[in-house]
Amino acid sequence: MTKYLLQRLLSTIPTLFGVLTIVFVIIRIAPGDPALAILGDNASQEALNAFRERLGLNESLSLQYWNFLKGLATGSLGVSMVTGTPVVKAIAEVLPFTLELAFGAIVVGGVIGVPLGILSALWRNGWIDSILRVVSLLGLSFPAFLTAILLILWLSIEWSIFPVISTPTDGDLWQRLYHLILPALSLGLIMVAYIMRSARAAMLDVLGEDYIRTARAKGVAGYRLILHHALRNALIPIVTVVGLYFGLLIGNAVLTEIIFNRPGLGKLIVLSLNQRDYTTLQGLMVVSAVLIVAVNLVTDLCYALVDPRVKLK
Amino acid sequence: MTFLKTTIVATLLATSPLILSEAALAQELKMAVAAQSAGQLDPHVQTRTEDKIVFAMMFNGLVRFKPGSMSSDAIEPDLAESWTTSEDGLVWTFTLRRGVQFHGDYGTLTAKDVVYSLNRAADPNRSGVASDYTAFKSVEAIDDYTVRITLSEGIPSLLGVVANYHGGNIVSARAAEELGENFATNPIGTGAFAFAELAEGQFTRLVAHEAYFRGSPQIDGIIIRYMSATSARDLALRTGELHMAAGLRENRWVTAMTSSGNGTVDVFEPGELRTLHINTTAKPFDDIRVRQAVAHAINRAELVAFAGDLVARQNESPVPDGYIGHEPNIDFPPYDPERARKLLAEAGYPDGVTVPVAITERQSLFGPMQVIQAQLAKVGIHLKLDVMEHSSWHAAIRDDVSPLVLYGAARFPVADSYLTQFYHSDSIVKTPKAVTNFSHCRLADEQIVAARSEPNPERQQKLWSEAQQLLVTEVCAIPLFELLQVWVRVPAVNLGYTLKGSLSLGPVITELTTISE
Repeated sequence: MTKYLLQRLLSTIPTLFGVLTIVFVIIRIAPGDPALAILGDNASQEALNAFRERLGLNESLSLQYWNFLKGLATGSLGVSMVTGTPVVKAIAEVLPFTLELAFGAIVVGGVIGVPLGILSALWRNGWIDSILRVVSLLGLSFPAFLTAILLILWLSIEWSIFPVISTPTDGDLWQRLYHLILPALSLGLIMVAYIMRSARAAMLDVLGEDYIRTARAKGVAGYRLILHHALRNALIPIVTVVGLYFGLLIGNAVLTEIIFNRPGLGKLIVLSLNQRDYTTLQGLMVVSAVLIVAVNLVTDLCYALVDPRVKLK
Repeated sequence: MTFLKTTIVATLLATSPLILSEAALAQELKMAVAAQSAGQLDPHVQTRTEDKIVFAMMFNGLVRFKPGSMSSDAIEPDLAESWTTSEDGLVWTFTLRRGVQFHGDYGTLTAKDVVYSLNRAADPNRSGVASDYTAFKSVEAIDDYTVRITLSEGIPSLLGVVANYHGGNIVSARAAEELGENFATNPIGTGAFAFAELAEGQFTRLVAHEAYFRGSPQIDGIIIRYMSATSARDLALRTGELHMAAGLRENRWVTAMTSSGNGTVDVFEPGELRTLHINTTAKPFDDIRVRQAVAHAINRAELVAFAGDLVARQNESPVPDGYIGHEPNIDFPPYDPERARKLLAEAGYPDGVTVPVAITERQSLFGPMQVIQAQLAKVGIHLKLDVMEHSSWHAAIRDDVSPLVLYGAARFPVADSYLTQFYHSDSIVKTPKAVTNFSHCRLADEQIVAARSEPNPERQQKLWSEAQQLLVTEVCAIPLFELLQVWVRVPAVNLGYTLKGSLSLGPVITELTTISE
């Protein structure tokens, strides 16, 4: 197990290195630079040049890259070129928001999606199945920002249950959870569609297996058959889907974050890109890549948990 | 349905003391700017629109624009109690107010802080606005409460550059020295509100500066939210989560917000002038007849109608309305498409001409550009628009790739700032001192420079008027319309002054601002 983990971690190093190099080069090829974003549009060329000198942007690309790698080797991601805040601090401030939103969306997706998928599979081609398939198609087709605005109109404006601004200024745990519900719901509804469809397909596969017939023949029925015998074996594809879509969630979350005024990795990536905040963007890429690799690893570890036949070697 | 609704509401209220705890901070004013995040909170470095009001609440200058006004006539004492000037206008002596306290434990303001701040603002290595201070020969502390500024040459408005705007903001010398690069994350001034917290991508929190020299603020603090989505700001205002928010500069929005009864809409100065700059050295615009054809083909009334008459107004001068030196009576080429076609044919383009033009994807410029595109197409000038991401577009136009540049800007309200940055030869793009002269015009250099140090106001105005007429006659640029600032606030907020203009491009909260329950 330890050997497996080490191997997986080591194999991510070339991936990380590749991602970082590509990001480092691409963002510098794009026109515009942080000096203009910081000093504003009426800054003179002289002021811009002085600022670029200070930020080290007048150095050669190779030297900038070398400095970046040196910093990375010592565990430093540098400071934001735009705000002056250490990149680690900027990311650490928004990361919990992204993680809780993604986790919240997955919980919403799982809690609603799995039972619906099971129902759909059990009544395959019946009217419940037909309705649920149409609903899931709607869920997939609805852009997250539209769902978000509809939820706000309904639950915040009409019913006054949730706030529009989904970040508390004074946050205890309750406040955070309360402010999380609406964004998690809006993002989670997309997950419901994905999870429901994969749960349905996986359940259909499993329900046709011989061992289910055997279990039925032995008198196992009802929820015991579904939950203990069928669902457990259908979980692997569902876990895979959740793992795969975690990366997508981070990207999809941008609009949700903007509408609900929540900070997050996605929003920070867009902001850093707009402002050409090279250092923050590089830091964000490191963190995102690590995060996605970690989620894939956790997904693989989950296989062994849900299915004892899987051995990690 | 009613049962379901009651159950959900009751459950949520019973399990969490949520909305109530936010309400407990009622005297914290909540406002939202149209941005995703704060920039560097250092007034000498950052000039971004969205951060200007934060600076205006945290810092003071030697003098200030009266709250709610951006007229230079209404400049009044701020950190300085009084001032005198030498006859030639080159030596200015300011007497400072005594007992002014900095935020936190940074003590009392003395001349040392003023000298430090103005020298810092003039240093290109530490400031983004150093070019405003190039005429500063020296800034000296005569004693603890007297500061003397000596200029190497006359400038149009010395009081303007020592006012509470950009480089004129006075910082604590001790804080700036001790904190160094970290000053931007812990800015220390003397303003009515002190910096308390910045939550990246969420909000900046300011708290009342109890020892503020004009008196302790009426409210306990301010939360400035960064909310880029207009719909989210509007909805949050409707639910009472915000007291004030940046609005949308469109008639539709102003009308809808006013009729909804959710808030009072403030439309105020400055107008950001939208100007079509024409590169006079690039083909086919190096021929004045083609430039004149463009001027005759543009229907500015239609552009104002497009932007909305509640938020926009026509301007025929290259300098925005309300700026000192603005010339309202400009002899401008009238809308005359027939004449435009004729001029184009005379210039050798009887079948029309196609020109590639770079434009940002931002609607505030892209929208009017599409109207201009349609208007010019009617006379045979076809614009091939290259729509670019905003930062890329800024870089591209400074790289001189676009012969036509539609630009919008508000500057310090003296004609010199606009004329120098947009029409003086030193500011031509891709030159060592470049700013934003996209037209490559150098025709008005003489008048611009002479007006700068002209001590006689009448002669100065004459020089500025000449410059403006010259730029229009030679069609270096086509001034189109001005877009005013739009904000909304709930009726409970009383700013404590009448908001007619704000150089900080937003409503500044002062010690007099109140929120009624």
